[in-house]
Amino acid sequence: MLSITQFDLSYPGYPPLARVTWHLKPGEQVALLGRSGTGKSTLLKAILHAANHPHIEIETDRIAYLAQQPVLLPWLTVAENVSLGNRLRGESVTPADAEQIEQRLTDVGLAGFGPRTIDTLSGGQRARVALARVLFEKADCVLLDEPFSGLDRSTRIDMASLCRELLLEQTVVLVTHDPLDARNWLSHAMVLTETSLTGPFELTQFENDRVLLDALGVGL
Amino acid sequence: MARILPLGGALAAWWLVVWAFELPHFILPGPDRVLITLIERHAQLLFHGSVTAAEILAGLGLGGALGFLTACALATSEPLKRATLPFLVMSQALPVFALAPLLMLWFGYGFASKLAMTTLIVYFPVTAATLSGFRAMPDGWHDTFISLHAKQWSLFWRVRLPLALPHAFSGLRIAASVAPIGAVVGEWVGSSSGLGYLMLHANGRGQTDLMFAALVVLCIEAVVIWTVVSRLTRRLDQRLNVSSLP
Repeated sequence: MLSITQFDLSYPGYPPLARVTWHLKPGEQVALLGRSGTGKSTLLKAILHAANHPHIEIETDRIAYLAQQPVLLPWLTVAENVSLGNRLRGESVTPADAEQIEQRLTDVGLAGFGPRTIDTLSGGQRARVALARVLFEKADCVLLDEPFSGLDRSTRIDMASLCRELLLEQTVVLVTHDPLDARNWLSHAMVLTETSLTGPFELTQFENDRVLLDALGVGL
Repeated sequence: MARILPLGGALAAWWLVVWAFELPHFILPGPDRVLITLIERHAQLLFHGSVTAAEILAGLGLGGALGFLTACALATSEPLKRATLPFLVMSQALPVFALAPLLMLWFGYGFASKLAMTTLIVYFPVTAATLSGFRAMPDGWHDTFISLHAKQWSLFWRVRLPLALPHAFSGLRIAASVAPIGAVVGEWVGSSSGLGYLMLHANGRGQTDLMFAALVVLCIEAVVIWTVVSRLTRRLDQRLNVSSLP
């Protein structure tokens, strides 16, 4: 599904970061952990813009991206935001699409929310609308950049279990700095440091995994 | 009540000054005399007032539309923006008043030269405000739209434009408050109708009360136009709801 070979992470004008080689099979779901400044988000965006990078190959063009803040246009309704892709590609929203939208909203626990405006939603509900859009777009690969970081602890746990339940076949890369957040949803993680990408690590017992903790720079 | 009190106080003070210093009415007529003039010469005031109102509204519409389109064009092309913006800013260093005689020369003494003046004075605030609305999108938006395979044109039409509209509206509100200046200055330089013409005419004949009456009508026009523009644009702002963005 995804194959990154000898890709140099770097910011223009700064010393280069890790050289990354990483292969993901279709349907593999992995967290990408690392301290801030190691280039996790940069790597995620490079995957999203794979077409510009000769060292990155991805076997689908149905990639969904979930940003830190849900990207919802306040002048559109919830339903219109779910089908935002159609609007932005210049495609019409068919009656079948409308049915799909309602279905996906029901999936994320927002049945009947279609006609509401965005400013009437809580932070958790906004995150759910963004997730409904990912489902509506039928993405094969879902890239998430600390998508629940703005939410409180219990809402983050809710979102994680919702993702585990709804994103079954998709290939998933979840960028986060918090192994607890990652474990709420996923079983494996890669760790990015300034010098390399290592892993996969099991998340079930990460508190006892010296190598993982060292890589994260956490002294327990 | 809160609005009537200061107005009433100002009128009382005005009347008191006239009364205390026994000012002749050709220096400063009292509010009572201005009111009588307003009533007696209402037909004349209405005619000239409607001419000025038409100039303000037409200039606001034309200048607003041109400013908005200019900003859209500059926002879609970075090289065009870099090439044009310095000239736009430089043109602002030139007072519109200095151009008035030239505009008379080119557009004649009628409606067209007043429209040109008002359009010029409205154009820049709308252009500048709208352009500032085409700022960078909030974090994560661009990458999300890339992942949705957004077309450039749809992105402009459906995201960047709605995002810029509240700024365009605030530019239009500023423009609505300065548009009367353009119309009146245009009339001063040369005209045969309009409140600016009426004021010059009355001034030449020592009819200070008529000058004041014309000023009152101009004030009312300015306030009404600004209020209507302001209400309309605020309602549209609410529909767009851009201010609810983080």
